[in-house]
Amino acid sequence: MLDIALSSVLIAVAIILSTVLQMGLRKSLLIGMVRSFVQLIAVGYIIHFIFQLEGIVYQILLLVAMSVVASFTAHRQVGGIRGVFIITWVSIIAGSILTLGFLIAFGVIDTTPRYFIPFGGMIIGNTMNSIIIALERLISQTRDRRHIVESALSLGASPRRAIHHLLKSAVRASLIPRINMLKIAGIIQLPGAFMGMLIAGASPIEAAKLQIIVMYMIVGCVSISIMVLSFLMPRFLFNKNEQLVFTEEKNILKL
Amino acid sequence: MVFAFKDVSKNRGEKTVLRGVSFETPESGVFMIVGPSGSGKSTLLRLFNRLDEPDRGTILYRGRDIRSINPRRLRREVGIVFQTPAPLPGTVEENIGFGPKQLGNDVDVAGLLRQVGLSVDFAGVMADELSVGEAQRMMIARALALRPSVLLLDEPTSALDPASVRAIETLVHNLVRRDKILIVFVSHLTEQVRRIGGEGILIDSGRVIYRDGADKLADMLERIGG
Repeated sequence: MLDIALSSVLIAVAIILSTVLQMGLRKSLLIGMVRSFVQLIAVGYIIHFIFQLEGIVYQILLLVAMSVVASFTAHRQVGGIRGVFIITWVSIIAGSILTLGFLIAFGVIDTTPRYFIPFGGMIIGNTMNSIIIALERLISQTRDRRHIVESALSLGASPRRAIHHLLKSAVRASLIPRINMLKIAGIIQLPGAFMGMLIAGASPIEAAKLQIIVMYMIVGCVSISIMVLSFLMPRFLFNKNEQLVFTEEKNILKL
Repeated sequence: MVFAFKDVSKNRGEKTVLRGVSFETPESGVFMIVGPSGSGKSTLLRLFNRLDEPDRGTILYRGRDIRSINPRRLRREVGIVFQTPAPLPGTVEENIGFGPKQLGNDVDVAGLLRQVGLSVDFAGVMADELSVGEAQRMMIARALALRPSVLLLDEPTSALDPASVRAIETLVHNLVRRDKILIVFVSHLTEQVRRIGGEGILIDSGRVIYRDGADKLADMLERIGG
């Protein structure tokens, strides 16, 4: 605990600097420090508890709970549009099952909690971030370019066809940071799993191998989830009469 | 008649934008919807091809309740051009061919460009590189590519210079004369209402307050300060 207390001094310095320079970040920094402490200690105890339990069911339940929280976060971030929670959840679950299932089936990772939970947590967290980028981009562009979308509808296009170019742009915006992560890995920054392995005493070669698996897994899961999301999304931007569900006035829905 | 609106009302959030609107359009020619800014003209126009749904009342298209018609089929027959150009990504040719392509059909791009007064050389130009006047003419060509029986024009000249305004107005007259289609033209400009002609309705605060020929509509619009 002494180590944590000492490291919190660094946040205290940031709070003092923010106050002196009137940056208005004092409250956010304080809340961030307390929340990260409480959340990480709590999750540490939960995972410690799950490590004691026999059977993969408990691990799967933990990952399902993480995916529900991630979907709720995405739903809140994009303004609570109808259906976002469920399509985010379905997308995360689809990507996670396919990627984790594939790696487990071929023995790349095993189902012990030590591997399964961190790997599952990493793909859910990364997928959630990419989904939020895709949703924000798609929803804001559909709002801003409503007349273009409605022009396409007026030319007899299906809702999916009418937003095809916006879907493409949203998918690209969400995946490009992941692709860049692959390109710069090891050059500009040392990724988390690599650093963790080094600190835990593994050889740099072993650390690099694990990091490669982690990155491929994340990019694979994010890509699958985003594709599922882009397939489902048009159903929620249009109603059964093939009309956009929001009008010029923000957040006025016509369901 | 092509369209018949019966006691149609429409709300936007808490606000009632259209109140008990009833009218019938002719088979062809120009049907004007005139009124001051914010009177509900554009909202009314969006109901013709089901970009929006009324909250009350019935809309008949050739005698059928439009709720019983597949929206895509209706929209192919009832084209719309908005106030400002809304080009899709791609060239002028790709924009004009977009509607027919959904049905797997080809289109005479050169013929349509000539019809709206644009040179055939524009076909390969990226649509977002056109001037506003050129883009608006391309929008009309794009809507005409599906050979609609009704063309909805929502203040199509509001963003244009005087020369382009005249060109669009001449195009409207030519379309009515040659193609015998119904053009529903929305405007809040009295002089334009007189130049376009035809018959129509005057709406104010979401209600139809007058119906007559274009000159009388323009007089009334002037009187209520449109």
